[in-house]
Amino acid sequence: MATGRTVTKHWRVYADGYDLSGYSRSIGPLGISFAEEGGDAPALTDAVKGVLPGQGTVMVGTLNAIFDNTATSGLHAVMNAVDQRDIMVAMGIRAAPAQGDPIFVAQSEQTAYVPEADGMMGVTIPFGAGSARATTMLFAKPFGVLLHAKGAETAVNSAVGVDDWGAQTTLGGYMMYHAFTSNGTATIKVQDASTNSDGSFGDLLSSGVIDPSSSPLSGIVATATGATVKRYLRWQIVLGTATTVTFALGFVRITV
Amino acid sequence: MAAQTGRTVAKWCKFRVDDSAGTIRDIPINSINGVGLTYDEVDLTAFQDAIKGVLVGHPDLTLTITGPFDTSAAQAPSTSGQAAALSGSHTVLSGIVGGNTPLGFAFYTGIRHNWETGEPVFGLAASSANGLICTEYMVNPDGTYSAKFRMAAGSAVPTWGTADIT
Repeated sequence: MATGRTVTKHWRVYADGYDLSGYSRSIGPLGISFAEEGGDAPALTDAVKGVLPGQGTVMVGTLNAIFDNTATSGLHAVMNAVDQRDIMVAMGIRAAPAQGDPIFVAQSEQTAYVPEADGMMGVTIPFGAGSARATTMLFAKPFGVLLHAKGAETAVNSAVGVDDWGAQTTLGGYMMYHAFTSNGTATIKVQDASTNSDGSFGDLLSSGVIDPSSSPLSGIVATATGATVKRYLRWQIVLGTATTVTFALGFVRITV
Repeated sequence: MAAQTGRTVAKWCKFRVDDSAGTIRDIPINSINGVGLTYDEVDLTAFQDAIKGVLVGHPDLTLTITGPFDTSAAQAPSTSGQAAALSGSHTVLSGIVGGNTPLGFAFYTGIRHNWETGEPVFGLAASSANGLICTEYMVNPDGTYSAKFRMAAGSAVPTWGTADIT
């Protein structure tokens, strides 16, 4: 994992368990905007107009992509109908995304699918705000850390984890997984620890038993809003009938 | 080198804001808008006046910055005469957006060299009641960011000065 500046050719875009990076030209702006409450109605004695943050609006912006009707996994097959989407943008820092790199995640409503017949045929896919069906409605933060870059795993993780914040927090968090493929059932987990050593990690969140062998799966699993999240984080799997599972996993630690 | 006077260019400017732990950090920017206060202009003209007359009401500040998305580790801020010691923009901004804790901030205008005590600074040191609130943080499709700040409700007013804000 590197730190510093980057360019978007190192970003990867995942939606509902599908890797759309090979079709995506750009996505965004990605972020969150909070209502500015009270700014137009200061008290008589206030020295300056001031606000308090109200509800946040998570924004995925627009996915500009290349039209491709490859069966099952092509952009057209995956995105041609509007639906709630599990979106993860893994932001590689001057290289392909790696553990510890930043991610943007959101459960948003896709609001259109608009092919553009101009030169190489493209598609514009706008997203609305965070979905009212989302499981992240209690968490006003879409930026987190990548715990497992897209790749296959065949055994449990005994490596040390990531220090994403420098301290334990007590405001909970949530994981997003994209399980691209497998040859059977598996469970994907986030583990946390106060000491960054293999034997110290315990389960924080779990996907439950999933089977992405026939079609990709994705999901968000959240803690309670006041849950303790220890300082160090790592990915973990439990193989059921599968001997290999290919996935990406991120975690958003709530800090404010 | 002593403080200088006269004209300058933007490469000598630097912006800093508190991180989530209340430590002020220099962060990379490539544009900044809204430095300074804008006052409500209340029209108090009567029919019988020959010309329009106004008085000013509350000041307001909406600060927007843009710059490169950067995940560098947090650095101790620069001091007088030093170039900005840049912390990652994402490192700082992703931790403060939406928070209720007022944030100290400062915009330094170095006069044809790295800012030195005695040259212009606009900002406000944070306290439990005084400072900015970060109300928006966006990462753009070109790998840059934008962020928006407003004053916290009940805050003191930021001012122009010439001393370091820590």
